[in-house]
Amino acid sequence: MTEPSGAGSTLRKLAILFRRDLAVARSYRAAFVLELFYALFGAASFYFLSRFVDSPQLEKSLPQGTNYFSFVLVGLAFFDYLTIGLHTFDESLQSARQNGTLENLLVTQTSLPVILAGSSLYPFVLLSLRTVIYLGWGAALFGFPVGNANWLGALLVLAASVLAFSGLGILSASYLLVFKKGNPVNWAVIGVSSVVGGMMYPVSVLPRWLQFIARLTPVTYSLEGMRAALLGHASFLELWPPLAALLIFAVLLLPISFLVFSWALRRTKITGTLTHF
Amino acid sequence: MKTFALRVENLEKYFPPAATGWRALLHPMMQLTVPALRGISFELEKGGVLAVVGANGAGKSTLLRILTTLLLPTQGRAQVCGFDVAAEPAKVRSQIGYHTGNDGCFYARLSGRENLNLFATLNNLSRAETARRISELTDLFGLGPLLDQQVRTLSTGNIHRLGLARAMLHRPSLLLLDEPTRSLDPLAAAEFRRFLQQRIVGEHGTTVLFASHTLAEVEQLAGWVAVLDHGRLLGCDTPERLRAASGGATLEQSLENMTHRAARETQ
Repeated sequence: MTEPSGAGSTLRKLAILFRRDLAVARSYRAAFVLELFYALFGAASFYFLSRFVDSPQLEKSLPQGTNYFSFVLVGLAFFDYLTIGLHTFDESLQSARQNGTLENLLVTQTSLPVILAGSSLYPFVLLSLRTVIYLGWGAALFGFPVGNANWLGALLVLAASVLAFSGLGILSASYLLVFKKGNPVNWAVIGVSSVVGGMMYPVSVLPRWLQFIARLTPVTYSLEGMRAALLGHASFLELWPPLAALLIFAVLLLPISFLVFSWALRRTKITGTLTHF
Repeated sequence: MKTFALRVENLEKYFPPAATGWRALLHPMMQLTVPALRGISFELEKGGVLAVVGANGAGKSTLLRILTTLLLPTQGRAQVCGFDVAAEPAKVRSQIGYHTGNDGCFYARLSGRENLNLFATLNNLSRAETARRISELTDLFGLGPLLDQQVRTLSTGNIHRLGLARAMLHRPSLLLLDEPTRSLDPLAAAEFRRFLQQRIVGEHGTTVLFASHTLAEVEQLAGWVAVLDHGRLLGCDTPERLRAASGGATLEQSLENMTHRAARETQ
């Protein structure tokens, strides 16, 4: 008896693709455990870096009530969502090509977008776990302030960020589908975002023309919203501007990326390069 | 009235020419000028077994990839159980099971059962049906004690059995096999052929189309043989009639005669 292919069936497919990746990761037990401890070393190095660079003058440039350690911890922890958003679709496509499972996945009754979405769940969940541990180590050992954070607001900003970043990720996967290697979408987005997005320093310290570019980059709004929710204890009303900007990015990028992806998939079925790498 | 599992009409497939260096950037937009299939037509009745034979580059894998919806045809059409491969790919995929001779096509660090569970879910099988089918296929393929081992610990022969089990999970009407015994030793290949003939075709009546270079395998399994040469279909008939028509004492001689005649005609 087969199930009708509705929302329930799609959720089951997403869940089993997640369980597949979890089972593969668990089979490498040492790496699985060690990955969780990297967060401790990361949080410790940001703390000592902040002790080195922190000064009253620097604090004037930071959002009110924050110090450099908490600023940079949030910046680095949440910038990774952009990196994962851009890499996860590419990597799941590339690994399926390399381990020979792509053809077998594609002849099932599940569309490639659902397979890619399911394959991106595990990296996002793992990253979220790592981020929680980052913040946990920061709060437990280095005085990261979490007492009055707007957690629900932070979750909303995170969800909107993942949607916006996924649009970029699907565009990136479309490029990889057609051209196989040397992805300029990743290079451009991550390169520009790391300079102007406000990961290690506030956007306000940039020259005016770079601040303008920062306003065209979704990670800027993501980090602003996240810092406001976690460090600035912002209300939902105060979170609305970055949240709205992220939703506009998502609404624009997701349909465009799906169109481009459909075109790329069709093109590779014409040129015969779908499973090449 | 005959019912067809597969109907192929004037099927053509062209690829863009190979490109390297900077020209590779233009490859996706290049004109499709390299022929892989040149207007082939044939039909396969339900329950039949058809072997596709031909030299490397004859178009066998291209044909199978079109039938599995991994490639789009350039011209012509192919229907699987009445569904068009280009217009109704999802319906076609619900009718086919696909297995290649490649043994690296599983998640090696998952068990056979975890792999089968995954592919059953992706083929829309309910939880209860998945458990039932895995149990049935485990008995059918003799995989019982191996099913809970990681795939990387299985022998090539057992991975092939697992591959066939995966292809059969959703009870496909048409089984497509691309050089299924390519990486098997002679004994495992003979066992695989016996298994396919007795259990899959004999007991289950599944329609099978397979590509092969092994003519003994073709003679043992196939009721019909399609001969491809440089993308052209030189003949599609029973092995006996192909031998009679081409004047060969064996299938091997018949193929040689047919391909030499085709080469002379194109000169």
